[in-house]
Amino acid sequence: MNKQMNLNIGILVILIFCGFSCKHHEEDYHSIIDKIENDSKNYHGVSVSSETFIGDLKTLEVTENGITFLIPDRKSEIISYACTECHTSPLKNMNDKNFKKAHWDIEINHANTTVMNCVTCHNGDNMDVLQSLTGVQIDFNASHQLCSQCHQKQYNDWTGGAHGKIIESWATPRASMTCVNCHNPHDPSFKSKWPARYNTQKIDERK
Amino acid sequence: MENNKKWFSLNLNNKNRSTDQSCQCGSGHGGCHDKKNTAQKDDTIAAQQDIGKSNDIRKDGFDQVFDVKMSRRSAFKKLTASLLIGAGAVNTSCNVLADDDSKEKSQIDWEEQFKGNYKLMDDDEKKATVDRLVRSYQLRTGKTINMTSENAADDVLFGYAFNISKCQGYMDCVNACVEENNQDRTSQMQYIRIHEMEDGKGFNFNESDDNYYHEVPAKGHFYMGTQCFHCDNPPCVDVCPVQATWREDDGLVVIDYDWCVGCRYCMAACPYDGRRFNWSKPEVPENEINKNQHYLGNRLRKKGVMEKCTFCVQRSRKGKNPACVEACPTGARIFGNLLDPNSTIRWVLENKKVFRLKEDLGTEPKFWYFMD
Repeated sequence: MNKQMNLNIGILVILIFCGFSCKHHEEDYHSIIDKIENDSKNYHGVSVSSETFIGDLKTLEVTENGITFLIPDRKSEIISYACTECHTSPLKNMNDKNFKKAHWDIEINHANTTVMNCVTCHNGDNMDVLQSLTGVQIDFNASHQLCSQCHQKQYNDWTGGAHGKIIESWATPRASMTCVNCHNPHDPSFKSKWPARYNTQKIDERK
Repeated sequence: MENNKKWFSLNLNNKNRSTDQSCQCGSGHGGCHDKKNTAQKDDTIAAQQDIGKSNDIRKDGFDQVFDVKMSRRSAFKKLTASLLIGAGAVNTSCNVLADDDSKEKSQIDWEEQFKGNYKLMDDDEKKATVDRLVRSYQLRTGKTINMTSENAADDVLFGYAFNISKCQGYMDCVNACVEENNQDRTSQMQYIRIHEMEDGKGFNFNESDDNYYHEVPAKGHFYMGTQCFHCDNPPCVDVCPVQATWREDDGLVVIDYDWCVGCRYCMAACPYDGRRFNWSKPEVPENEINKNQHYLGNRLRKKGVMEKCTFCVQRSRKGKNPACVEACPTGARIFGNLLDPNSTIRWVLENKKVFRLKEDLGTEPKFWYFMD
């Protein structure tokens, strides 16, 4: 009888001990994702702002896929904008030996000539704006709309923030680089190059 | 006699010496305790309570080190180390020939030696130690640095995502990290590793090369960066015998370089090879030192302590992206606040097929990989 009692008490003690020891975590979550979802329910925002880091960069607000964020102003970055300062008449009138040659350094390395040429994006009649595949005018500041015609996947990732770069700060308001800030539209692919660093010490250590 | 005496006293020239049964040996049993001597016990307790009244103030510095029960051996160890510094301090401060600067320097050294663990400091104490370090640097080099002790902000949990389809292996991130975090130039110890992996072989770290030097991206290869993953359940923190490393409220796993004893248990416990040890005195050329520092981040380290990626705590707590994120030319690195439902890092977690390394260990790294 006494043995039985001792056993019972023993089991009780173990149960109580387990009850306490299994509760290291105050929060009731199973994984970090659950925890993030739970903790962000009452998100009040943070005191730091990205504005101090964006600084003098001229930006404009865009809303793409229902997500609103800032992108750098493009037109003020193009040195020879407005294009009509040189392109005084439509392109076909200027395609003549009497006119000065320009843009000799631009080589198109973007798809092949069956798919793309200058007028796929540029509007020969009004060089100050771009044009879509259907001939609709697109502002130079909204060039991402032009890219998104073919590169839908990249465009969707960019609006969410999975493609491209955020400027300077993780805090709000979000400012993202736009397509042409990283890719040269006439030659958009990234080039191979040598790594920025080579650890000679590591080579010695691993000999 | 109960062990309710929680401070260490040398008990020299004390009348109660023979009656005080607490011998500070740290052992709760054995010959050190005479349980029969109850008559004098009350006197001792009363005396202790008197001392206790004056000891009500928060423990800091000297008290935090010595006001604890310890064995004779560890007491002597602490005393010897401290006496060396103390001797220097006393020597300089009592020396009429020594100038004010060297007196101040030894005063700072003295206070730094006896300061507590950063984890336990309140904001004033944090500021005091940061001020001392700044002043000490000024006295030694004549240059001024800017060091902060910014705490974790509310509603922030830092997370990171790495796009393995975008990384081209340029290693610009590694350079940026070395410069930002004042890493030792001679040993070439770095927080970030970029592993060049062969297509079709999976994530095979054994066969991957993290020190390639040829034109990148190499044909038939992809690149995967590793660094400290800032686990939510960090095994490195559990094993630290002196609690010199811990998880901050914004999710950063940090180290108090002044509390670290250099046992490297954390290095062994980390399943991701995220921690680095200073085998030699880290050296950074004076003109390359990043002077915007944080106590837990890129301040100059010493020989024999651990260090690792802190998600650039000196930048991220101010709202900036870590240096690696800023330096990456391909946009493979994404950093943000996991608690902000509209942040880009949350979009990535919710819309891309993300995974982490060794998820089955339950370490819950806050560093996700994904592909386009």
